[in-house]
Amino acid sequence: MNPMILSAVLALGADRDPVVLQSPGNPLVSFRFVLHAGSALDPPGKEGLAALTGLMLSQGGTEELSLTEVMEALYPMAAGFSSQPEKEVTTFVGQAHRDHLEPYYAVFRDRLQKPRFDPQDFERNKNDLLNYLTKSLPSADDEELGKKSLEQELYAGHAYRHPVQGTVAGVEALTLDDVKAFYREHYTIENLQIGIAGDLPEGFADRVVEDFRKSLPSRKAAAPTLPRPPIGKGLEVTVVEKSTAEATAISLGFPLEITRSDEDFYPLLVANTYLGDHRTFNGVLMNELRAKRGLNYGDYSYIEAFHQDGGSTFALPNVPRRQQSFSIWIRPVAPENAHFALRGAIFYLRRLVDRGMTAEEFEAMREYLTSYSKLWVQSLDRRLGYQLDSSFYGTGFYIDEIEKRLATMTVEDVNRAVKKHLDRWDFRVAMVASNAAEMAAAVKENRRSPVTYQTSGASEEVLAEDREIEVLVLPIDSVKVIPVAESFQK
Amino acid sequence: MMQALAASSQGREVFPYPIDVKDFGNGLKLVGVRFDSPGLAAYYSVVRVGSRHEVEKGRTGFAHFFEHMMFRGTESYPEDEYSEVLRAMGADSNAYTSVDRTVYHILASSRSLPKIVEIESDRFQSLKYSREQFQKEAGAVLGEYNKSAANPFMGLYEKLQETAYDVHPYKHMTIGFLEDIQAMPTMYDYSLEFFRRFYRPEYVTLLVVGDYDWEALSALVERRYRDWERGGYVVDIPREPPQSAPRDASVQWPAPTLPLLAIAYKAPAFSTELVDMPGLDVLSQVHFGETSPIYQRLVIEKQWVDFVSAGATDQADPPLFTILTRVREPEKLEDVRKAVLDEVERIARELPDEKKLEATKSHMKYEFLLRTDTADSVANTMAHYLSLTNDPSTVNEVYALYDRVSADDVRALAQKYFRPENRTSVTLTQAPGVGGPE
Repeated sequence: MNPMILSAVLALGADRDPVVLQSPGNPLVSFRFVLHAGSALDPPGKEGLAALTGLMLSQGGTEELSLTEVMEALYPMAAGFSSQPEKEVTTFVGQAHRDHLEPYYAVFRDRLQKPRFDPQDFERNKNDLLNYLTKSLPSADDEELGKKSLEQELYAGHAYRHPVQGTVAGVEALTLDDVKAFYREHYTIENLQIGIAGDLPEGFADRVVEDFRKSLPSRKAAAPTLPRPPIGKGLEVTVVEKSTAEATAISLGFPLEITRSDEDFYPLLVANTYLGDHRTFNGVLMNELRAKRGLNYGDYSYIEAFHQDGGSTFALPNVPRRQQSFSIWIRPVAPENAHFALRGAIFYLRRLVDRGMTAEEFEAMREYLTSYSKLWVQSLDRRLGYQLDSSFYGTGFYIDEIEKRLATMTVEDVNRAVKKHLDRWDFRVAMVASNAAEMAAAVKENRRSPVTYQTSGASEEVLAEDREIEVLVLPIDSVKVIPVAESFQK
Repeated sequence: MMQALAASSQGREVFPYPIDVKDFGNGLKLVGVRFDSPGLAAYYSVVRVGSRHEVEKGRTGFAHFFEHMMFRGTESYPEDEYSEVLRAMGADSNAYTSVDRTVYHILASSRSLPKIVEIESDRFQSLKYSREQFQKEAGAVLGEYNKSAANPFMGLYEKLQETAYDVHPYKHMTIGFLEDIQAMPTMYDYSLEFFRRFYRPEYVTLLVVGDYDWEALSALVERRYRDWERGGYVVDIPREPPQSAPRDASVQWPAPTLPLLAIAYKAPAFSTELVDMPGLDVLSQVHFGETSPIYQRLVIEKQWVDFVSAGATDQADPPLFTILTRVREPEKLEDVRKAVLDEVERIARELPDEKKLEATKSHMKYEFLLRTDTADSVANTMAHYLSLTNDPSTVNEVYALYDRVSADDVRALAQKYFRPENRTSVTLTQAPGVGGPE
C-alpha cells in the first residue's frame, strides 16, 4: 500500500514543510521530527553540545513527569523515542501502535516542548557521551575508530570534523546551562521539520503542527556557511596507533562537490554501486579483495555519509548533509596485507576512472538499482525518513528520483561523472594499526607490498594483477602516526 | 491444516496473518504467510543446524563457515552467475548462523519467486565449489572474526559460555574458537561431509512471507525440491549435566574498558508445553526491564551502571538466563554485584506487583506488533520459531502462554532457577597497566 502524501499542512519555510503520510489500515504510527541543528553548530570547545541536548530530551523527563514516570507511561505501549544526532540535524524518532496514538503523542510532545533538564539526567547523559568517547570508540570497535578518524582528517578546520558525540574536552566542559541555552536558541519552529505517518485520524496532523507552532519560539536563523574543504596534493595518511589491534581497519576518501541535489549524483550512484555496493557481492572491491583474495570480510564505497540501519543492509535515513564525501571502507585486514589492500582499493577505483563502465555493466547496475532502491522504503517509517531527506535536498521523493533519472541515463553520463568527480589522488587515509611506525614508513616510502596469502590457489589472472598492485606508486603527501589515546581529545 | 490455522487467526492471537503449510514427503516443509506487501515477497530457507551441532573437536565455527560456502555456486549457477541472478532481480539477500540454525534469506519482487525457487533449490541440492574457493572463503571468515575481536562483550560471552558449559557445544561461540578458524583452510573434505549430513530436506523449512500465489508456489517448490533425498544423519549432542556449585571467572581485557558483569543461570530449553520458558521471559521484563526497581535504582538514581538487561534466548537445549550490566566506575563493581544478587534473592522471595505484570504483558504484545511491520521482519520472526519446532503455530502458542503467566509463576521460577549452584558469574575488567586514553 503506497501512502498518500499530504503536502504542506502549514507552510513553515522552503524545506521545512511538514511531511504527513496517510496510510489507511496501517496499525503503526511513526513520528520523525527533524530539528535543523546538529553537531556542526557545536561551539568550539563545547563539542558534543547538540548531541547532549538531544539526549536530554530523549533520555530525560518532562516538566510534568520525571524520566522514571515517562518510562512508566510508555512501558505498556512498548513505544520508543530516541534522538539521532547528526552533523546538520538532530532527528527525534518515535513509533507507537495506533491503539496508543493520543497518550503516546502527549508524552512525545512534552518531551520536545517541555524538557525537564534535570541535573541528575544531565550527569548520566554526559557520562554516557564521555564513556563512549574514552572507552567504546577508541577501544571496542576499530572499524568505527577508522571511520571517525577519517572524518577528522577530511574535515580539518570544518564544522564536520568532530564526532557528533563530541570530543573529550568538549563534553567535559559542558554544563546544564549550556544545554538550556542551546535548546532556547535552536529549538525553534523555523528549525523544525515535522514528519508523521500512519492511519491518522482526521485533523490530527494539523493539530500537531499547530501545537508546535504555538509552543516553540519563532526565530529566523541562517545555517552557518561551511568552508569548502581544499583539494590536496596527494595522499594524507594518518596511522592511528593501537597496540591491541589484531587486524588493520582502513578508511579513505576525499570530499565531493555534489549531493543528492545535483544532477551528477545519480550517475555517480550507479558507478558507486558498481564499485562498492554496501554489503553485497555486486561491487568490484568486494569481489576483488574479499571473494578472489580472501583479504577480509568486506570492502565497500560510498558517495555520501552512510550509517547502516541496524542489522539490515540499508542506510539509516535522516543523515542529510550539505557537503558529502566519497569514501572506501576496507574492513580489518591482516597487518601484513594492509598496505596491499590500500593499494588494491585505489587500483580498482583507478581502473574505473580510467576505463569507465561498459555498456553491459551499466545496464546491469541500472536494472539492479531500479528494483533494489524500492526495498529501502519497505516500512512506512523508513519511507517517512526518506521523504524528509528529499525535502532537505529539495528533490522529489528520492526513490522516485532514482527511477526517473536512471530511465534516461546513459553509460556516457556515468563515465563522465566518474571522470569529473572521482579522478583524484588527494585521499585522506586512516589506518588503525598496532605496527603503526612500520606501516607509516612502508606507506611513505611506497615500499613494495606483496600480498601474503594464507593458502595457495589464486588464479594466474589474480596473481598478475597482484604484481601490478604491490608496486602501485601512490603520491604520498604526508604520513603521520597518532596514538589512539590522543584521538578525539579536542 | 491450512484452513484450521487461517480460521484460528481470526481470534485474538498475536500473529494475525493467514498461514499456508505443505509437506513434501521427503521431510521438507513449505510455510507461507500472507502479509500485505503488494508485489513483494521474502523467501527464507531455515536450516536447523548451528554451532550446537559442532560436537567434533577442532570443528567449532564450522556451521557458520559453511553458510559462507553456500554462496560459492553450483554447476548450473557458478558463483558469479548466482550473484548475477540476484542482482538482476534487485534482491536483498544474505544469511546468518546462530547456535541452533542457519537462515538464508532473499527479499525481492513476487515476480521473481520462480527464479528464486530455482536457484535456491539448486544450491541446496547441488552445491559445488573448488578447494581454492574454499580456502579463500576461510580468509573472509577470519576477517569476520577480526572485525569484532576488539569488542569486550565478545570477550565476556566467550568466557561465560566456556565456563558455564562442560560438555555441550554451547560452550563455544557460533563464530568458533580462533584456532579452529585459522585451521579452516585445511577442512575442505570435511566441508563436503558437512553438506551431505545437514543440507538435507529433513533439516530444512522453506518460508515465504508476503504477496504470493499459494497454488503456483507450492507446485513450483514441489517440482524443484521433490527429488531431494532425505539424509537421515542424526548428531549425538551431549547433554549438559546439572551444575552442582557456583562458578566464577574473570577476564583481564587488554584495552581500556568499563567493567562488565554477567551473572547467569542455566535456564530451560524452548518449549510450549511448560510455563517455565515464557515465564522467565516475563520475569526478565518485570524484574530487569527499564521500569524495574533494579534498573531504576542502579541506572537512573545511583548511576553506578549505564544499563542492566536480563533474559534467556529461545534455544533447543538449555540456554543461560543472563543478567548483564556495565559498571561506570571500576571501584563500584562489587557493590553492583551485591545489588544484583540481593535483587535475585528478593524476587525469589516476593511476589511481583500485579499491575506491573499486566503492564508487562501489554509491553510484550505491543513490542511484537511494532517489530513485525514488514514482510521481512515477519519472516524473520517466523523463521525463529520454525527453527525451534518446525511448526508455524508456535508463535501464537508462545504468546498465549505469556498471557497465562501469573505472579506466583514468576516467583516460583525465580526460586527454581536462580539457585547459587546453578549460577555462573563472569567479570571483565581492564587489565592492570593498560594505558587508557584518559
